[in-house]
Amino acid sequence: MPCDELPDDLRTLWLEAGKDRPVFSPDQLRKDTERLQARRRRGNAILLVCLSIFVATFALGFFLVHNTLSRIGSILAVLAFGFWLVNILLERARTSPDPGETSALLFYRAELVRTRDAHRQLLWRWLLVPPINVLFDFGLVQTYAKRFPFIAPLEWSVSAFVLAVFLVWLPVKHLKVARKYQGRIDALDAAIKSNGEVTK
Amino acid sequence: MGIKVDRLESQDELYRQVADEYGAALARLAYAYEADPDLRRDLSQEIHLALWRSFGKFDGRCSLRTWIYRVAHNVATSHVIRQTKGKRNAPAFLTLEEAEAQAGNEDIEAFTNRRQALTRLLALVQRLDPLDRQVILAYFEDLDAESIAEITGLSAANVWSKIHRIKDVLIRQFYRGGRNAL
Repeated sequence: MPCDELPDDLRTLWLEAGKDRPVFSPDQLRKDTERLQARRRRGNAILLVCLSIFVATFALGFFLVHNTLSRIGSILAVLAFGFWLVNILLERARTSPDPGETSALLFYRAELVRTRDAHRQLLWRWLLVPPINVLFDFGLVQTYAKRFPFIAPLEWSVSAFVLAVFLVWLPVKHLKVARKYQGRIDALDAAIKSNGEVTK
Repeated sequence: MGIKVDRLESQDELYRQVADEYGAALARLAYAYEADPDLRRDLSQEIHLALWRSFGKFDGRCSLRTWIYRVAHNVATSHVIRQTKGKRNAPAFLTLEEAEAQAGNEDIEAFTNRRQALTRLLALVQRLDPLDRQVILAYFEDLDAESIAEITGLSAANVWSKIHRIKDVLIRQFYRGGRNAL
């Protein structure tokens, strides 16, 4: 089935857009691949170090703060950060469908699903923070409030901030974005259904 | 389009030939997906990188041209989704109905020369939904409906109807303010 003609002036104009084409050599692309892999390894290492610092801080809290609530908070924190780490590394290892073997329609859908899922996962990751923080802070206040009167208002302010950010702002934000992507997926699915044929 | 894959011995050589033959089309594709020059350069690099890597897997089950456009469009789609992901005020993709509605609200003095006309055309294409964008870009590159169907996964009849609708919107917008500019 031939497509009908595009007006000549429009086509001529379109062809002008390709005049300044960038040139890459295979050697340069090979180096780029190595650089990308190195950047990914570096990113994973930085993530590992950051989460390890958090885990070490809470693990230290377990031994320094002699309070049951704080200790429960510490244990939960270590477990949660471990879960985060595994989760993030798994997500990074997830690859997109092969771009040459997947049709544009299915690839687009897969990318939308991937992005939606990333936001949903973030939502759950943020929700883990407030209970841990509140438990830990509550224990701190119980233990040290008499010796350090400033600690109670300080810790409750921190807890209020953490609750507002991690229980309300971030989850709502990610929920909204995830819904936006779900809307696009639904629209695409509806289009696929109404069009019938989809090839791989 | 006359590249014989089976005669090529290496991934590098195939890439060189493809870059030579399709380089301009790939540059246009990057233009249509990314307005920012720096990000466009990154996108071009990503596309070329993905193509070069993909040639190691190319087994000739589809035509080389289909393979090239699939890789390029799919990489560009990932780029577009990634770019809009973290930006609260990132422009949403336009449905064809929205693009049609916009056509009536354009400033007819908006472009007066070829450069502006091209920018205007690209700006409109850059706001289309990725799937509509893929269809119209392949059409701009003179691909027939069957080839576009093979790249996108849509049926040829659907491609045909999409082309008509998108082209109508583009032409209406384009000639409203710019015919004299050409």
